[in-house]
Amino acid sequence: MTQVSLHDLRKSFGAHEVIKGVDLDIADGEFCVFVGPSGCGKSTLLRMIAGLEGVTSGTVDIGGQDVTHAEPSKRGIAMVFQSYALYPHLTVRENIGFGLSLARKPKAEIAQEVEKVADILQLGPLLDRKPKALSGGQRQRVAIGRAIVRNPGVFLFDEPLSNLDASLRGQMRIELTDLHARLGATMIYVTHDQVEAMTMADKIVVLNAGRIEQVGTPMDLYEKPATPFVAGFIGSPKMNLFEGRVAEQQGCDVYGIRPEHLTVSDDEGRWKGTVRHVERLGADTILHVEAEDIGTFLARIEGHRSYRPGAVVYATPDPAREFRYTSR
Amino acid sequence: MRRGQLFGGIAALAIATVVFILPFLFVFLNAAKSPSEASQPSFAWPSEWQFWQNLVDVVQVRDYALLLAYFNSIVITVGAIALLVIFAAMVGYVLQRRPSRVSRVVGFVALTGLMIPPAVVPTIWLLQEIGLFKTLHGMVLIQVAYGLSFCILLFRAFVASIPRDLDEAAIVDGATPLQVFFRVILPLLKPVTLTVIVVQSITIFNDFTHPLYYLPGSENITVQLTLYNFQSQFTSQLNLLFMNILLITIPPLLVFIFFNRQIVSGMTSGAVKG
Repeated sequence: MTQVSLHDLRKSFGAHEVIKGVDLDIADGEFCVFVGPSGCGKSTLLRMIAGLEGVTSGTVDIGGQDVTHAEPSKRGIAMVFQSYALYPHLTVRENIGFGLSLARKPKAEIAQEVEKVADILQLGPLLDRKPKALSGGQRQRVAIGRAIVRNPGVFLFDEPLSNLDASLRGQMRIELTDLHARLGATMIYVTHDQVEAMTMADKIVVLNAGRIEQVGTPMDLYEKPATPFVAGFIGSPKMNLFEGRVAEQQGCDVYGIRPEHLTVSDDEGRWKGTVRHVERLGADTILHVEAEDIGTFLARIEGHRSYRPGAVVYATPDPAREFRYTSR
Repeated sequence: MRRGQLFGGIAALAIATVVFILPFLFVFLNAAKSPSEASQPSFAWPSEWQFWQNLVDVVQVRDYALLLAYFNSIVITVGAIALLVIFAAMVGYVLQRRPSRVSRVVGFVALTGLMIPPAVVPTIWLLQEIGLFKTLHGMVLIQVAYGLSFCILLFRAFVASIPRDLDEAAIVDGATPLQVFFRVILPLLKPVTLTVIVVQSITIFNDFTHPLYYLPGSENITVQLTLYNFQSQFTSQLNLLFMNILLITIPPLLVFIFFNRQIVSGMTSGAVKG
């Protein structure tokens, strides 16, 4: 059982507090994603769980044991870094087996374990190469292999896919999800990309300025965002958020409607506006519409409907999908 | 333009020949002459080649002092280089990776080693007090002390180019601080280590003044001091002096020729991301 619990975790660098009291429970075998804009403290939080960053106050429990002040290697975790952090002077085989050789395991056992991991990740033919002779995706696989071989209870990923190109990233997302299903280990994954969060997570933790904004399943966060921040962060394209007069008319401080929940019509609707830009994605088309009384908003329509910039359109929000936020 | 390049290339080669090859040729020619011919050194061809005879004479002089000097100089150089590389790399690593009040003070102390000129007499006094005066290991420590500051600066700058992720990956893999250093960092320091080995070994091997001050005694002779002793005793035998110069120039030359390629190939490795 390797659940992870954080209790009132805080971290300050000098007078500057970057993690402002985080309470979180991650169940055994869960794929948990920390997501948030850059500088929100998600990587720091991950590094605190890993033990690479000291804790100012609060506790970290892994597998029911308090590991707040334990060495990283004694926490039963393995970490995959954004830069992969492969040892450039060692071959793939030695990279994967490095942790085992530090633990003074017999050579035969190390070789066997490395082969097993290489099979899982299809690294067999690359075992005798140095990292500089590998492509980005292959390096990432080696970094994951180095994590798997330690047989940890918790895997920590720090933006592992952000150095890969878009198509490879999509493929690695699937591979990581498969790997999670196969290993059944607890995984904590940090990303700034909400698409990665939505597609991979069992549970998403949205962080903003060192605090948790909301915790929930991907669809929870999409359908019931607790704050305007979450509403704006989860979902692509972003939710339209209005303050000021539009919100006042709706009886709230912030009014939100997703682009896909607007019905666009040529002749009638609640808001009248002019099309400024048209983004054709194939299946869908995103319209950037400028309305006199409310400003610019996005609307998502079917791909086969076409509008030209300058066309006048009417948009009507789906009443069941409107979000109204009132600050206390 | 192409003619200009050709002309410039020839000019550069000519200057390099005058600066580097001619002195060597001069030494070589005069080392092969008879005593009377060499008493007035010149570029003239030797009328009679005495190369082998001079070589044997130089080696045999003063009961094979040159061979003892080679032994002493190699012991001092190898010992000092080994300590310099280990200590400078360790200090440079810690100074770069753990910024704190203590490391700032240590960094400043290392810098003062470059700024403050060493004082000879107090050093001799200190060596006498701790029983290291006139000993080879005392000389090794002196050379380490002289070279350490410079080497620390070199290593520290190079460690900064090694991503900290590598240290952290090793820590997560269960490495102790010493294992992080010896199994991950030190192998990656190979290019700068080779630079330190080449620069410092040539400096230490060719050092004349410090062994002169700190290492008196005929049993402690080093290669550069063989020249000095030579000259005082055989002022008329310049041919032997030139032969001696030739012999003691060879080891540093070999070090440079051998390691030069390694430095270049070492510089191009070590990338982490691509």
